[in-house]
Amino acid sequence: MKVTLATHGGQAAGINLRLPPREVEADALPPAAAAELARLLAAARATPAPKDERAGRGGDVMSYTITVDDGGQQTVLKQSDTAMTPAFDALRSWLEKQSATK
Amino acid sequence: MSRTCYCLNCITPPHILHKLLESSDKDIRQAALNTLVTTARLRGERATRASFAAAAPANGRRTVFDCQRSTQLSSAIVARTEDGSPATDDSANRAFEGFGATRQFYKEVLDRNSIDDRGMRLDGYVHRGVSFNNAFWDGREMVFGDGDGRVFTDFTKSLDVIAHELTHGVTEHTAGLDYHNQSGALNESISDVFGSLVKQWSLHQTAAEAEWLIGVEVFTPGSEGDALRSMKAPGTAYDNALLGKDPQPDHMSKLMLLPDTDEGDNGGVHINSGIPNRAFYLTATGIGGFAWEAPGHIWYESVKASNPQTDFQEFADTTFAKAGQLYGGGGVEQQAVLSAWREVGIRISGALTAGGAGRFRATPAGAGREAEALAALSKQIEALSAQVKALTKDVGALKGKKLSVGV
Repeated sequence: MKVTLATHGGQAAGINLRLPPREVEADALPPAAAAELARLLAAARATPAPKDERAGRGGDVMSYTITVDDGGQQTVLKQSDTAMTPAFDALRSWLEKQSATK
Repeated sequence: MSRTCYCLNCITPPHILHKLLESSDKDIRQAALNTLVTTARLRGERATRASFAAAAPANGRRTVFDCQRSTQLSSAIVARTEDGSPATDDSANRAFEGFGATRQFYKEVLDRNSIDDRGMRLDGYVHRGVSFNNAFWDGREMVFGDGDGRVFTDFTKSLDVIAHELTHGVTEHTAGLDYHNQSGALNESISDVFGSLVKQWSLHQTAAEAEWLIGVEVFTPGSEGDALRSMKAPGTAYDNALLGKDPQPDHMSKLMLLPDTDEGDNGGVHINSGIPNRAFYLTATGIGGFAWEAPGHIWYESVKASNPQTDFQEFADTTFAKAGQLYGGGGVEQQAVLSAWREVGIRISGALTAGGAGRFRATPAGAGREAEALAALSKQIEALSAQVKALTKDVGALKGKKLSVGV
């Protein structure tokens, strides 16, 4: 299973535009980390994104796309700074840290 | 043995708490605010803060909240209020001071009463999330991240970023530029322009002395980035293996056609803003002196005269017209605007530019009376504007006497 995190917009949009998505290969993770990823994914999937009351307003709001490719099946989770569940943020943060340690 | 539970459920009615917000005692006001915020959090309501924003004109009263690393603003605690003591948290104090500088700039330089020109409250949220490399305006408040500590640091450290975000609010209440494609890039540019002007004004820098860099302070000392963007030389803010190369264009010939999607930065709003950014830089240095004076006023009046779909060409034409109205047709200011836009690849519609700028500078005999009439009209407009400003101040003073100020 491969999980990727792409980041869009924000003050650093120019940087985000050029950077490739961060990737984590679940099969290459130690068992504890793989289990943590599975737990975070399940929690993020179980909590739907809240309605974005600020959609179209404001400036420099970032959005995030987490794509899960698992045995030919693909799941896409997408949320933004102004409409984000704690579960999605926990997954996003974990993926950022995990990909940064590679 | 039976146990009798004496349970007394006491909830202070909201109308009493709202009344306490008007107390002359700041400790009472603080306690009422804390209670209302806590109640709102428990109910999951954010309407409480909306009612604050919609309350009587607050003259841009500042409140800074600490998210304590959560992404849920409703769980934030009050860190600093307008009349309160400095916070123990440096980020809260920096946000507070940055709001104050921006508020003061808009008031003193542009005679604008906070973001909506009606004294809208300035609410900020610091320590949002974990390793959050961003700051944003959500239409009602500004939110700051602490950065990841590797590449980015605390976003409250950058005054131009703070003013940039608050200016999104100003744009929302004036032109309402749609946040995509050229109108969105203009929206971003306006925020960079006034973000930079607030910084230059606070440092009393001339256009020639200014760095014209946005977000210098948000990079950690160890990172190779110079800034998020360069208004003087778009495309040069950073160039290294970690961040890549700054993709901003500095001329219409390099306009980036990106998809109008999140992945495409909504048509490149943070990318193509480089073009109008450079136009402002060239205007400011072409006129000389302080950029917040003639250039800032030309741009501000042009924003107020724009609409949600205004694109680069229309905005350029408006700046040319406003420069003439404010400072006289054919003057140094209008010439600088004309040259600046031409240098980034935009020709002002209707300007007498055939044969080059030389013809524009010359005043043909037949145009002498027209120039005089325009100058007289400009003076009349100035006089009327001064009268409107004086009336506005009188009305504001009257309102201040009648309405009590909240927390």
